Amino acid sequence: MLVKRLQPMISHARRSYVELMFQVMGRALQAISEVDEQTRNETRALPEGFLFEMQVMPNGPKLIVEHTGDGKLHFHGDSAPRPVDLSIQFKHMAHAFLVLSFQEKTSVAFANDRMLVDGDVSYAVRMTRVLNRLESFILPKLVAQRAVKEYPANLHLPEKLISGARIYLKVATNFVETVRA
Amino acid sequence: MTNKYYEFFCPVKVIAGKAALEHIPFELTGLAAKRPMIVTDKGVRAAGLLDPVIAACEESGLEIVSIYDDVPPDSSTTVVRDIATVYRKEKCDSIIAVGGGSAIDTGKAVNILVSEGGDDIAKYSGAGILKHPLKPFFVVPTTAGTGSEVTSVAVITDEKKGVKLPFTSSFLLPNAAIIDPRMTLTLPPHITAATAMDAMTHAVEAFTCMAKNPLSDAYATAAIKKVSQSLLSVMDNPKDENGRLELAQASTMAGIAFSNSMVGLVHSLGHATGAICHLPHGLCMSLYLPYVLEFNIESIREPLGELLLYLEGPEVYSATPAARRAEASISAIRKLRDALHKRCELPRTLKETGKVLESQLEAIAEMALDDGSIMFNPREVTKEDALSVLRRAWA
Repeated sequence: MLVKRLQPMISHARRSYVELMFQVMGRALQAISEVDEQTRNETRALPEGFLFEMQVMPNGPKLIVEHTGDGKLHFHGDSAPRPVDLSIQFKHMAHAFLVLSFQEKTSVAFANDRMLVDGDVSYAVRMTRVLNRLESFILPKLVAQRAVKEYPANLHLPEKLISGARIYLKVATNFVETVRA
Repeated sequence: MTNKYYEFFCPVKVIAGKAALEHIPFELTGLAAKRPMIVTDKGVRAAGLLDPVIAACEESGLEIVSIYDDVPPDSSTTVVRDIATVYRKEKCDSIIAVGGGSAIDTGKAVNILVSEGGDDIAKYSGAGILKHPLKPFFVVPTTAGTGSEVTSVAVITDEKKGVKLPFTSSFLLPNAAIIDPRMTLTLPPHITAATAMDAMTHAVEAFTCMAKNPLSDAYATAAIKKVSQSLLSVMDNPKDENGRLELAQASTMAGIAFSNSMVGLVHSLGHATGAICHLPHGLCMSLYLPYVLEFNIESIREPLGELLLYLEGPEVYSATPAARRAEASISAIRKLRDALHKRCELPRTLKETGKVLESQLEAIAEMALDDGSIMFNPREVTKEDALSVLRRAWA
């Protein structure tokens, strides 16, 4: 009975959490493309103007980033200026919550058919590597190990701390700018 | 509570065994199809493999309305459009694809066009575009390896853009797969070996990669057992119908397994090598399988150890300490490759193929990293990892 009464609140909280995480991730993707050369090496292979979307099906929260050239990504929020080139879609809010709360690794979510790829699979693989690198930078190692298939052995504490701090600073600045605008 | 979850889907009716081809007329009639078109390639026709199919239909009063026998090894959007034009002109109502991966993929793509309409197959490219069942579609495989008869994927080359277009939909799955040992009796030894190792790799990767599940495991282990028990005897006695049927069934079972649990790094490297060096897919699979298993071993020790039972049988399995079974499984695969090399010189290293340059390894590694199957490999793979596997496979 209690669970039934709490269900709408749980659903609402889950949706709010996923929306917030998409906002953070979108900005963090833009930030990591500005501070990390290895990330730019990955994203340079995307065509200029390439639009990438992560979305919860059917009309749930979404994040959209664009490759603006030289590996740099720009966060568009949840609306795309034109049809997206690649979309990774969670089949349900519950699945997005599992991944974004680090209870299920992104790779495991793919293996478990929680997500669909609409677009060029090779770009999806590339963007998944970028997401993994982002999570390795911005999450504490113990949490990141739950989010990525393998925590990168060559990512040492000083680099993680410096890059992580720069990414967080840029995310915070972007949030403030958005609120002011 | 566990987070484990899986999906399994295979609605294909498998018609397998002696005189299986003779079931085609009955099965087509059951789907109200009266005017089938055969899609095949010149090699299949020249080998006389169409004759029993046509005879089986004619004996039951079912006329094959049209035969298109010019499917190239890498089928293209133009070929698909041409076949669809013939299909419409001849007022066909069903398709029978007879052949290997290319003929089957072409049949799937033609079925999209003739069912959905239009001449531009490219607009149906991608996942989940198709929303309705297609025309009756049967597949008669003439190789025992690809498993395409039970997969929901087709790949067609767009000649103008120079890209490969993937098509993914459960509606691409045929209504029936007809597995008749007569269709693989004349396969030359090196193709028999390479395609069987393709099936073996599908099954081993299905059993050891991230999307493994209890149902695909059952198909994978059964397929491995059949290949292990029958491949060498078929190599020694190519006209062994029972052995041929075992290999053909193994291929279908491995196809069901991997289409529901995906594959890993062997396929990523194999696809890249095929694209860059134009090596046959089955050969690439045979070549990379042990090296990739060695790379993955610490992540897959338990399932790989289990496979020893199906690779070598209960005596060897029970005599091998549990801690050594994973290594013993890799040794069994190496032993099988050595035996195939002795019988038909199936290459075991990139150098032995004579078609790969050491300078191409870097390009292969880079391309492999972007292959979709790498997502399902149990270990994360960096470019250095891929290169180290390639160097081990070099010589």
